[in-house]
Amino acid sequence: MRALLCAVLLCAFVSRPGRAQVVDLALERGTAGRLGLSVGDTVRLGTAPDSMLRLGVVRAIYQPRPDPAEIARRALQARFHLPDLAELLGAPDRVDRFGLALVAGVSPDSAAAELNRSAFGFRAYPSAQIASESSQTFQVVSRFHRAIAMITIVASAVFLLCIMLLKVEERRLDAAVMRFVGVRRRTIFYALLLEAAVLAVAGSLLGIVIALAAGAITNAYYQRFFDTQLVFSVITPRIVALGVGLSLVLGLAAGAIAAARLVRTRPMVLWGRA
Amino acid sequence: MTGLGWGIRSLGRHPLRTGLSLAGIAVAAAMLLDMVMLSGGIDKSFGDLLLQRGYQIRITPKGTLPFDTEASLPGARRLVRTLRADPEVATAGAILGSAVYARTPDSLVTLFGYGVQPESQGIYRVMAGADLAPADTTGLLLSAAAAAVLGGARVGDTVMLAGRLDPQIAAAAEDRSLVVRGMVEWLYDYRGQPSVGAVLPVMQRLARQATGDPASLVLVRARADSMVEPLVARLRADYPTLEVNSVVELVAQAKRRLSYFTQLAHVLGAMSLVVTVLLIGTLLTITVNERLGEIATLRAIGIGKATVVSQVLAEGVALTVIGSALGVLLGLATARYLDAILTSFPGLPAAFSFFVPRADTLTQAAVVLLVTGSLAGLYPAWLAARAPIAATLRAEAT
Amino acid sequence: MARRARTHSRHLAGGGHLSAPSHPGAVLVARDLRKDYPVGGETVHALRGVSLSVGRGEHVAIVGPSGSGKSTLLQLLGGIDTPSAGSVEVLGTRLERLSDRDLTRLRLLRLGFVFQRFHLLPVLTARENVELPMAEAGVKSAERRARALELLEYVGLSGRAGHRATQLSGGEMQRVAIARALANQPAVLLADEPTGELDAATGQEILELFRRLNRDGATLVVVTHDERLAREAGRTVTMFDGRIADR
Repeated sequence: MRALLCAVLLCAFVSRPGRAQVVDLALERGTAGRLGLSVGDTVRLGTAPDSMLRLGVVRAIYQPRPDPAEIARRALQARFHLPDLAELLGAPDRVDRFGLALVAGVSPDSAAAELNRSAFGFRAYPSAQIASESSQTFQVVSRFHRAIAMITIVASAVFLLCIMLLKVEERRLDAAVMRFVGVRRRTIFYALLLEAAVLAVAGSLLGIVIALAAGAITNAYYQRFFDTQLVFSVITPRIVALGVGLSLVLGLAAGAIAAARLVRTRPMVLWGRA
Repeated sequence: MTGLGWGIRSLGRHPLRTGLSLAGIAVAAAMLLDMVMLSGGIDKSFGDLLLQRGYQIRITPKGTLPFDTEASLPGARRLVRTLRADPEVATAGAILGSAVYARTPDSLVTLFGYGVQPESQGIYRVMAGADLAPADTTGLLLSAAAAAVLGGARVGDTVMLAGRLDPQIAAAAEDRSLVVRGMVEWLYDYRGQPSVGAVLPVMQRLARQATGDPASLVLVRARADSMVEPLVARLRADYPTLEVNSVVELVAQAKRRLSYFTQLAHVLGAMSLVVTVLLIGTLLTITVNERLGEIATLRAIGIGKATVVSQVLAEGVALTVIGSALGVLLGLATARYLDAILTSFPGLPAAFSFFVPRADTLTQAAVVLLVTGSLAGLYPAWLAARAPIAATLRAEAT
Repeated sequence: MARRARTHSRHLAGGGHLSAPSHPGAVLVARDLRKDYPVGGETVHALRGVSLSVGRGEHVAIVGPSGSGKSTLLQLLGGIDTPSAGSVEVLGTRLERLSDRDLTRLRLLRLGFVFQRFHLLPVLTARENVELPMAEAGVKSAERRARALELLEYVGLSGRAGHRATQLSGGEMQRVAIARALANQPAVLLADEPTGELDAATGQEILELFRRLNRDGATLVVVTHDERLAREAGRTVTMFDGRIADR
């Protein structure tokens, strides 16, 4: 019914009321905005542009739950009483689907299986299965995001390793002087490691601030672009912990590798005199 | 020893550092390459898909896109005859899409049915067997997936199709026995879609009421590409109750629906460039700072600022060129991986691809990357040029 | 020896006069040089009025304790630094009148520098390091390659031409640096602590090389702590606290 409804043309022109009964309808908020309609307006309804014979009155404007699969379509939507729509479409005894509420204790899977055993021309599905299949679009997008995130993490890891290596090697003269005055290799190693850890944590905290700002901008932009209340970017404590943890681990690893190379080098070589 | 040669050799001073930098640039370049392919891939792929059989115009029920809804346009065959008589139209064909059912020994299986006019169709390619004749009311075409669902049906087999099922009386209003004439590839099917095809009148009876002569869309091929836009305008004026779109307009609409990916591509592409600039800029800045004594000596012995600057820039260019070359290989591999994810969208034609390499866009990306990598060396080159010779030599001596 | 002297004298003092010098026969003239520079908020008076002239073919050693201004004087003579007051004339050309570009050009074609820390380019071979100033001067590839090999033979490194700088010993690197300094046939060779990083034996080799250069007609100005090197010079200038203590 919904699919057919998208093809129903709504005309904002009020004409002389015909003898046909006036039907009530509710318009989706975006549709009402795009057509310039409000509660109380009268519209003409029909299933083809050259047969707009029924009149309808807008009784309500509603905001549907945000659906990621639908936001890009920008379909015009309206709701009718079922008998009115069925009659309008010339199929008074036809629907697209039934919704069944089961009594307590009945498993949806077993109920669906039972129905399907005797079904002809229809199939029964547990709601969870429908939800799963209809969210496949969103799952694909999630998988894509995860793949991009993995690539970004790899790039960030390489970048972090490189920067840590450079930062530690910049301290070669300091390390040489410390060795000259008798500081142990282990002390120098841990000092450099601590520096790497501080850099990694500070960098990741800065990154979280940037991510929060970017997320707010993303949500504001796409909510306006798609005219929806859907949230596109969410920074959860888990994500923060993952970011800081990964950054710390990579930073420490990179710092450890670079520091180990540095302390293994002879002081005179670090000093540049050998 | 050219500046570029000197720059390339300088990269060998610190192999680990250079290796990591090249890896970082390669990943950034790969990301940029992928995003360039993504930003241009949607319209290229979709456009190529729509034009596979040369039909530049689609006519659908008002306010709909092809197979977007169950709506249909009436009087399809009369419309097609009128269009075919138009001097600017090379040919036209109507298509009806609907769910149909095949009877198997155990049950009823759901298939997607296409009603076609074989003499001017633009939605399938015969892979085995033969095409339908225009008046063949007992013939059937199968996709490989449909054949599998029907227990391995082959050319010459008979398939029982049912339509307009009535659950209350558990009967079909229409039953047809059809013989498989050919195995076809349906150009707009998603992967694994079990589709069958029959001539339009047969499918109309199976799917809908026969009266009204409904079709889901009409394909139109103009005599020349230059005639397309004027023909679209004229058809819109002649048929105001129908939706008339050229392929260009359909591609634009598809791109609007998938605009999220285009925007994501631009954002990630820009980020890749920023990462490249940061990596090269940081590496060269630190390298220049380490070599200030060497640079001061070169300036002292008479090597000009321009030579020193060009050597630093050459290092940046060398890093960019080598890193980008590695990035191309990596980018092509990751593009295949990402494309495999995105093309698993339900309902997406199997022939559609999000990541499409185009020579012009890839060249643009390469140029942008090269310029960016070169510019990244500007700050460190400036540092090298302004290094005070005497003060640096004094500092070196202490 | 004579043939060798004839051959290698081509390396030396090839620069022409740019203008008539105020001290006839002098290639370097410094007048009342002063140099101050800030260090940590205070001003260091590195030179407090130094005047000096160096004639063609002279070997001058500048000696003195650390901080006496020896290296600062050499840098001013070579146009690497600019004086706070006073003037320097190289082959009749007043350096303060030159732009940075012209000063660089003068250093490339008229002066040769040797430093304590060699500062060869580690990614280039010995031959390529020697070729570098010639490439900058626009000498054609075949010519500069031949000349570089000739110079390396002169400094006793003909067998090491193809080795990277990092593969050479300290003494070898310094000899390559000397060959590099001679690449464009400079009028004067300026050396700042050329044996400072070398052991006694290697330092002796450099000393002998300098002796040979001067014997072949080179004009040398050498800043050094090394007494042996100072003794080799025909004239010693002793610096103390930014001034010349004696001539």
